[in-house]
Amino acid sequence: MSPAAVRVVHYMNQFFAGLGAEEAAGHEPVRLEGPQGPGRGLTPLGLPVDVTLACGDDYFAEHEDPALATLLAWLEEEAPDVLVCGPAFNSGRYGYACGMLAREASRRGIPVVTAMFPENPGVIAAEGGAYVVPTTANVAGMKDALPVLAAIGVALAEGRDPGSPEEAGYLPRGIRRNEVVDRSGADRALDLVLAKLRGEAFETEVAPAFEVVPPASPVPDVSEALVALVSEAGCVPQGNPDHLVSRRAHAWLAYPIDGVASMSADAYETVHGGFDTTAGNADPNRLVPLDAVRRLETQGRIGRLHPTFYTTTGVDTPVASATRFGQEIAAELVNAGVQAVVLTGT
Amino acid sequence: MATITSLPTIAQMAGASRIVRGPAITNPTGDPSLDEEEEVALRTKIVERALEMVETDVEPATVWEVSA
Repeated sequence: MSPAAVRVVHYMNQFFAGLGAEEAAGHEPVRLEGPQGPGRGLTPLGLPVDVTLACGDDYFAEHEDPALATLLAWLEEEAPDVLVCGPAFNSGRYGYACGMLAREASRRGIPVVTAMFPENPGVIAAEGGAYVVPTTANVAGMKDALPVLAAIGVALAEGRDPGSPEEAGYLPRGIRRNEVVDRSGADRALDLVLAKLRGEAFETEVAPAFEVVPPASPVPDVSEALVALVSEAGCVPQGNPDHLVSRRAHAWLAYPIDGVASMSADAYETVHGGFDTTAGNADPNRLVPLDAVRRLETQGRIGRLHPTFYTTTGVDTPVASATRFGQEIAAELVNAGVQAVVLTGT
Repeated sequence: MATITSLPTIAQMAGASRIVRGPAITNPTGDPSLDEEEEVALRTKIVERALEMVETDVEPATVWEVSA
């Protein structure tokens, strides 16, 4: 039994829980007392499991809503100090179930640690809600994964910060935290550039996170397609009738361009606050290439230009807002039957 | 969709798949140093590259130059 102060719940699939292999993948969620399978390896590492929840991989995949509802109801009853999921290695269904449960449990305030292969879709499903320990693709990495999993689990259960991804051995969750340091940014930047010039090892403080989005399938023949123009260059009709802001936009706008041959400086301007707009205001086609697209439309290189163009200001925009703009504009475009988009970014 | 920008790295960070490198931040589809006719021709070429890219199967975060 765990110390009274700490309660641990472990989620795993049918195979690791000993319910059966592929033939048991349709198994409904079950609640089992004490550690099962790999959970037994957590006890000597200081993280004795009180209750194990298990579910068949296919059952979770095919009945996600009821499976999650059952598991979350049990979690609410158990009120664990930490939830451990997996390790799932590179099993896609198992990893996905771990990631989804981790995400939902973390949203309900339960700290979660899981472990899987970094390219398992479960990592994305967890949406940063869980500490994800990277593992090998197959179960051979179990003995390396468990101590890291347990150490993070113990820290979370005791309400401690497990430390940075590098120190504690989990995948970065895309979270930036402020910390106080002795030396100014200028000093640290000089150290980095000098280290780089000397060919020494150095670590960039703010590593960009690259979001990988699967590319859309190609449009077989753009000469048959409805094509739209979208821009974040802050282009609006002269006088900015709808008051698009010059930075930190909270909205996007749509303007008709049916019958408009060119983004002439008489009729359009840019209000973007993130770059020198002299060239863009002298000829807004430098930001939204309407004259060129009309030329290509006349030549039959595109089927037709969508009669509306979409615009916003892309500077200092919170990612959450920009994501929403993209989703909303994309929904309009899809509704209008647009097949291809040319987006200009400044 | 194809994105025309002079900052392909930023577009890559945002998850863009089809990126054409435009001339400058201030004029992704133009070049004020050219005369008008040359500039429209350049702009047309940039847009044609973007359309060509839309017709092509790509890996995530692919960047094309205007002149292949």
